[in-house]
Formats: sequence, structure tokens, C-alpha cells
Amino acid sequence: MTATGSQEPGNRARSAPATAAGTDLAGQITLVARGDAAAFDAIFEQIGPSVFGVVKRVIRDPAQSEEVTQEVLLEVWRTASKFDPGRGSATAWVMTLAHRRAVDRVRSVQKEAERERRIAAAEIPYDEVMEAVESSFERERVRRCLSSLTEVQRESVTLAYYRGYTYGQVASLLGVPTGTVKTRMRDALIRLRDCLGVAE
Amino acid sequence: MKLTKKSQIRDAHTLAGAYVMDAISAPDRERFERHLAGCEECAQEIASMREATAMLGTAAAEPLPAGLKERVMAAAAVTRQQPPADETEPVPLAHGARTRAGTWVRSLAWPGRLALAAGGAAAAAVLAVAVVFGVANGSMQQQLDQAQASSQQIAVVMTAQDAVMTTGPVAGGGTATIVMSHSRHALVFTAQGLHALPASRGYELWLIGPDGIRSVGMLPAGSRGMTGPVIASGLRQGDHLALTAEPADGSARPDTPMMLDIAL
Repeated sequence: MTATGSQEPGNRARSAPATAAGTDLAGQITLVARGDAAAFDAIFEQIGPSVFGVVKRVIRDPAQSEEVTQEVLLEVWRTASKFDPGRGSATAWVMTLAHRRAVDRVRSVQKEAERERRIAAAEIPYDEVMEAVESSFERERVRRCLSSLTEVQRESVTLAYYRGYTYGQVASLLGVPTGTVKTRMRDALIRLRDCLGVAE
Repeated sequence: MKLTKKSQIRDAHTLAGAYVMDAISAPDRERFERHLAGCEECAQEIASMREATAMLGTAAAEPLPAGLKERVMAAAAVTRQQPPADETEPVPLAHGARTRAGTWVRSLAWPGRLALAAGGAAAAAVLAVAVVFGVANGSMQQQLDQAQASSQQIAVVMTAQDAVMTTGPVAGGGTATIVMSHSRHALVFTAQGLHALPASRGYELWLIGPDGIRSVGMLPAGSRGMTGPVIASGLRQGDHLALTAEPADGSARPDTPMMLDIAL
């Protein structure tokens, strides 16, 4: 990937075991809700690279991705008290916020960029994602689970999640009915959930 | 009847995957969330799917750009956090909100803090004031909504890498502070100690450039000596920012002498 000067060895955050990091993250967010700046600092280490990664996958433009990442992390600070551990993991909470913000950003600028995106759509995001991933246990697991999906399921998930397309757009890209795409998306996530072992 | 309802529910259920991946339009999202409110089963399914998509996200991790953490930490240091829900208290009304907001305003020690702060920290201070003042006027909920929407826009300017702060005196009294980002083509305007105008008149902000004059809008009524923040976007090369006193419902063109004129 690009060599944009990173001060942090990104691998440290990246290779942390998901479960330990997840548990820890919930604790940090609870502390952040009380205004603990040190805990907020720790959150950058734990989830910052993931936030930036997913935002950049969707938005693609590095400068805009950086802005949205900043907004997301400031939002974590502002709304930490709204995190409810009973309704899911801290990682899911932050990543949901990050993905939603990234998608909102691309949709808001979509009209002007529509042409550009139509061209971009000719690329194959799954391959791109798979090429870009570095070997780590977690990435390997995601790769394996994505590979276990049917082609339409996998394309539906990668186009929607990593590209920020709506199911209607995915349907037209894949040339299948919208009803099919909706169903495949749900089936795919259920399968991924079971494969990744994250079922509640 | 029964069949139709069942098929509607089934249809709503199938949207779960698209919903979790934000792959639905805003109206679809709203419709699905209404369904979700009364469907415990769906809520559980969605929670478990979110864990899976979160892993798709973390698998895409990339090192944070240099300086990002420092910028967000600086902004956080002066950004008020949302309080947790308090079920023992009724929803506060506008009056109560104003009283509470007043405390926050005082604790920010405006304007000394801004005057003393420098660079990004100063920008962040204005952001904090922005969030506070959004809540300080008018009805609580409306202002919260507005504050949230505008504080997002404002945050974009404040956290821009090229954000610069300028302050200057306003003819007739007071000090204006702008934080501008050329890359975002936007600025955030605040003023302190503006001369109070009669109710029939208000301050109007303008962008004056080679292509003509655009009204940014009327400044909101001041509160505790503090006016704004107001965001002005779509800045163009060669623009000046100007301030005039106009009839309360605004003018199409500035009719009175410039009280402030800053080359951007």
C-alpha cells in the first residue's frame, strides 16, 4: 500500500487478537464516556487503523478518508456514553459508526462523482481487497470465510461493504434482480457470522 | 390479509443484510428501523451480523496517517461529551437547557482561552464553543439536532490540516474570529462582544468576490456576548468576508457600511 508516513507500526494494532482487543475496547469506551483522555488515546491504537481502513475502502480518496476518520473518532469521544455493551461489541459499535459515516459521505457527493464511480465499478473489488490484505490471522480468517461464499453472495458483500453501494446498485452491477441481492446479502452475512464465529 | 402481512414481514426481514451494510436508501433505512423497533428477533440477528461486518472492517485496517490522532485528541480536549441517558429525569425543556448550557459556556472562559490558544488547539476551542452554543439557544431538541448537523460541518473545517485562525476587530465594537480551510473552501465565523442591535436589525455576513456578492446569511442572535458559529462554504479565489448591519430579515445586497472586511 502507500507509504504515507505512519508514525505507528500499524502491525501492532492490526495483529492484536480480536477478542482481547474487543473486550479491552469496551472498557476503554466506558472510560472515555467519563472523559478519560488516556483511554481515548488507547482507542486510537486499538481501532483507529480499522476505522481508517474501512473508511478509505469506501471513500477511496485519501484526504476525504482522513477527514471522515477524524469525524468518526471525535464522534466516539462525544457519544461514548451511548455505547451499550448489551447490544453488541465495542468494535461493532465503532465500525458501524465508521461505515455509516463513510457511506453517507460518498452518497452526499455521489451525483457529481457518478460518472467516475461507474468507471470504478468496472474493477473487481474482491480481488483488490484480497490482494491488499496482508497475512495476519484475522485477515486470513476473513479471506477464508469470504471464499466460502457463493460468487453472488461474495460480490454482494464486497460491493456493498467495501464500496458503499446500495443493494439496488449492486443488483444492476451484477445484473440480478434486487430481491435476489437482498436475500444474498442476508444469507451471506449469516454465513460469514457463523464462519467467523462471532454469533451472539 | 394474513398472507400479505406475512410477506411484508418476510420482505422486511430480507432487508437485514442490506441494512447492516448500509446498502439501503434513506427511506428504506427509516422503514426498516420502524420494523426493527418492534422485532426483537430482527434486532438480535442484526447485532450478530454487525459483529461479522465489523470483522470485514478490521480486516481492512491501515496505519493511521501521521498527525491524525493529535488533531482529534486536541479537538476532543475541548469538545463536550454527550451525557448518558438519565431515566430519573424528565426530558429537559428549553428553559432548563438554557440554564445548564449557561454553565458550560462560562466554564469555557471565552474568549481568553481562544486568544491564548494557538493553531489547532484554537480551532478546536471554537469547535467546542460551537457545540455549546448550538445548545444554548432555543428549544433543546431542535438545537441539539442543529448543533449535531452543523458541528459535523464545523468539525470538517476545524480538523482540516490547513485550518488557520484569524481574528480582527469589528467596526462598531467586538472581535470576529474565523477559522478557514482553503482545502475545504469553507470557514467558520464567530464573533464576540458585537454591539447589540435593535430587534428590527441584525448582522448579515457576506462573501464578496470577483464574481459578485453572496449572502452567507444572518448571524444568529448573540448569547452572552458570543455570536455564531456560522459556517460559510463554497469560498472562491479572491473572496472577502464582510459583515454589515441590515434589516432583521436580511438584504439582497449590503446596504450599510462594512463593519468587517477580511481578505480570505
